[in-house]
Amino acid sequence: MIKLEDIEKTYDTGSVTTPVLKGVSFHIEAGEYVAIMGASGTGKSTLMNILGCLDKPSAGHYRLDGTDMVNLDDDSLSRLRNRKIGFVFQQFHLLERATALKNVTLPLIYAEAYPGDAEQRAKGALGAVGLTHRMEYRSNELSGGEQQRVAIARALITDPTVILADEPTGNLDRKSGLEVLAIFKRLYRQGRTIIMVTHDLTVAEHADRIILLKDGTVAEDRVVPQPRDAEEELRTLSEEEETS
Amino acid sequence: MRLLRIAREGFGALFAHRLRTFFMMAGTIVGIAALTVIMAMGKGTEKMVMKRVNTFGPRAIMLIAGGGKDLPPPDMSVTTLTLQDAEAVREQIAGLETVTPMAWNFRMSATRDANQTSSVVWGVEPSWHAAWNWYTVAGEEILDDDVATMARVCLIGQTVKRELFGGEDPIGQRIYINTVSLVVKGILERRGASPEGGDFDNRVILPITTAMRRVMNVDHIGAIRMITEDPSLMSKQAEQVRALMRERHHITPPREDDFRIITAMVIAQLARGASRTLSALLIALAALSLIVGGIVMMNILLISVSERTKEIGLRRAVGAAQKDVFAQFLTESLAVTFVGMLLGSGIGFGVCQVLAQVQSRPVVLSWQPFALGVAFALLVGTFFGVQPARKAAKLHPVEALR
Repeated sequence: MIKLEDIEKTYDTGSVTTPVLKGVSFHIEAGEYVAIMGASGTGKSTLMNILGCLDKPSAGHYRLDGTDMVNLDDDSLSRLRNRKIGFVFQQFHLLERATALKNVTLPLIYAEAYPGDAEQRAKGALGAVGLTHRMEYRSNELSGGEQQRVAIARALITDPTVILADEPTGNLDRKSGLEVLAIFKRLYRQGRTIIMVTHDLTVAEHADRIILLKDGTVAEDRVVPQPRDAEEELRTLSEEEETS
Repeated sequence: MRLLRIAREGFGALFAHRLRTFFMMAGTIVGIAALTVIMAMGKGTEKMVMKRVNTFGPRAIMLIAGGGKDLPPPDMSVTTLTLQDAEAVREQIAGLETVTPMAWNFRMSATRDANQTSSVVWGVEPSWHAAWNWYTVAGEEILDDDVATMARVCLIGQTVKRELFGGEDPIGQRIYINTVSLVVKGILERRGASPEGGDFDNRVILPITTAMRRVMNVDHIGAIRMITEDPSLMSKQAEQVRALMRERHHITPPREDDFRIITAMVIAQLARGASRTLSALLIALAALSLIVGGIVMMNILLISVSERTKEIGLRRAVGAAQKDVFAQFLTESLAVTFVGMLLGSGIGFGVCQVLAQVQSRPVVLSWQPFALGVAFALLVGTFFGVQPARKAAKLHPVEALR
């Protein structure tokens, strides 16, 4: 479903050309939960941008659901993002003054046709991330963990092919981070495809496959034999809090 | 409608930042309000000019005894204008429909029994009626016979009638001008107030011969009124009359004219006064205010684009194309100028209402300033909105999200 073939990305700043991705290839099938890992400067953000169709590779091919995005113009890329990709960012990126409900429906504004049941769908998505009681809250009235859950609901609203999460727990405390990971795990069990970029191995091990980037190439692509279970870790965490 | 949904996003931002929106709007509000008032005043002035020209007579040329400029009260002591001058004009100036001499005195006492009033007395020929388009509502007009026989008759205006006769019928009754007894043979139509504030209806009209010989005891006349056949010839005819009069009165440079010639065009110019220059200046100010307002709006929008970089990045990530972002920001600028235009028009109309109450000059409201306002709003909104909108649309999503 996601096919990367020899993806290269070079940044050209006048005199200096910096190769960031030097031929990255991998496939991700529908229903997989993949973590892309790497230290900073290994090109994982660049790869994330290409996977999200926010940027084009300098060379290579990237097929998403059979479409090679390399040949698409900006308008078509925008449409592709709208229909097939659900983003979850480290900084949440919500509209501050808008309600959770409004934030969740945002992608639908840019859809070809605005669904008549948009509000129902948004409520459903917020329900799926456990925020039914926060629907009318403005995003700046929500905690970090809640904001990230609104962002996940927003990613779900268009029923995308893949959810792309860029350091989704990076700005959260441990408990909120685990809650987000628990939601991802639940979505994965429901059959969603999730790609999560992280530098943190303990976060990456919640996925069932890890692609390790090093120096602009894939250094390692391995299955996680025993993925961590966020629900269980949350339970342990609350027990610890009780005993202390 | 996708575009409508995107436009609504633009409105949302304006509502969320009301103070900022107001600052963006201020220039448009002031500019359009000023424009509305100026145009209404301009229209009012034109209406007043038309009224004055019509009162004066759109095809009339007046030759008045006594020199000087503009419109001072006629100088009754000047004795150089005569009936022979009128005859000469009649014979020598081509293209005049009517030439009618008038003898006048602007302050004579009119009495009837115990009632007395101070009145304007004009001695006229029968052609005076046509020359002023001023006839009687009752009784007879001045006829050739009256002039030929120096008849002791007169016509009286509505004010004189009221002052001397109250509710009685004056026709056939006797009044005294100074000590001369005259029979009222007709009542003049009501003319109302003059533009200078006088009363046209406070007037007694006599046969010119009666006036000169019996009442005023003069050999000169006060004025000659001419009606041209062709208004386009009016200036030329006025010059011809002037040359003729200077010749007849033996006036050579550097001596000034001992008469004035006033045409309908002069009346229009005088009535307009400086209003043209003034409104040109005010229109320039209004335009300046619109442009400055547009620049302010553009800058606030540019700042707003910088502030909202992340928001733009997010919108691009969830599927907004460049043109969608462009449309959203252009909606903001157009909404600002359009709402500003509505508010400005409203304020302008309000100011006009107040002006109409307090000012002597009329203020005429019309749809034109509103239409012009719509055009300006679209123009300013587009012109100053395109650059911020383009800046927003051109942001690279990856950099915007960083």
